[in-house]
Amino acid sequence: MSQNWRLIRHDARPAFSNMAIDEAILKHVVAGTSPCTLRFYRWQPSAVSIGYFQSMGQEVDLAACEARGVDVIRRLTGGGAVYHDYDGEITYSLTMPDDYPGLPRNVLESYDLLCKGLVLGLRSLGMPAEFSPINDIVVAGRKISGNAQTRRFRGVLQHGTLLCEVDPHLMFTLLKVPNEKIRDKLIAGVEERVTSIRREMGTVDRDQVTQAMIDGFAGALDIELAPGELSDDELAMADQLRKERYESHAWTFKR
Amino acid sequence: MKATRGPLSADYKVPGGKLLRVQLTLDMSQAPPAIADLRIHGDFFMHPEEAVEELEACLVGLPCDATALRPRVQAFFDGDVQVLGADVDGIVHAIVAAGRSDS
Repeated sequence: MSQNWRLIRHDARPAFSNMAIDEAILKHVVAGTSPCTLRFYRWQPSAVSIGYFQSMGQEVDLAACEARGVDVIRRLTGGGAVYHDYDGEITYSLTMPDDYPGLPRNVLESYDLLCKGLVLGLRSLGMPAEFSPINDIVVAGRKISGNAQTRRFRGVLQHGTLLCEVDPHLMFTLLKVPNEKIRDKLIAGVEERVTSIRREMGTVDRDQVTQAMIDGFAGALDIELAPGELSDDELAMADQLRKERYESHAWTFKR
Repeated sequence: MKATRGPLSADYKVPGGKLLRVQLTLDMSQAPPAIADLRIHGDFFMHPEEAVEELEACLVGLPCDATALRPRVQAFFDGDVQVLGADVDGIVHAIVAAGRSDS
């Protein structure tokens, strides 16, 4: 029997609100006060996020970010540094309890399952998408989506990005490179190994792509998605998490 | 002689996995020098995430060589933790490389 999920389609928000909302949803889903949730969102201003284990100072050119009005944030999830461009990506999060029916306890296997929604969505748009372990989705060998998962508070949160357009020059302006000599090589590497909706489809229709992903998740997870919004309790908790965790210097520069 | 050396660092790409970026300081008053402080950074995944701090803490005080480090790292991996993109060999390799680096 298919499960009933909540679908939240958010507009653009600052990074600190986006990450706080994902965590607030997770805590409410685990507590049983909110249904399992699929959420879509954007970043305004554009932002760089780093993985839980990364060093902000090692990965991010903070002066370059500040000069361009780009926020920097540490995620609750592991994985790598990502530049979230306002126009450049579609971002989603999936939230469910860790004993969700059919969800593998093995994290790698669960990436395969949860990424299937995106894979099916991309295929419905005509792209030969495949899951590429550990946590990527590729189209004809080129990465189009990166995903990151945490398991906390007895719940599972997976968020990830679908690249709409890529600007490797800007990316490596905001992210630090090991040394200047290889900057051009890294940029060429991104052009070689990364693709985007723009490159694959020639155009970016965000509504069309988002709807394809919604249908993909519904099919992959066998779920019924009903449009919804955050509860007042979730909003209040997100506001508190934003102030106390995600906007704090202590969290941003934790490692 | 100065009591500590560092911060020392090394990057190591785990074959088939992620990039480990280790930073440490060595306590030079010990013979052999012991790890005084350690941070294991990188784009790997560990569940639960906070366990990385336990891993770092349990290696402090050890000599910075594979013989000393490997059993502790192995015991950590044998515990109730899931690590993706890094393994025992990779973590030991990155720490030893940092200890041998010039900066």
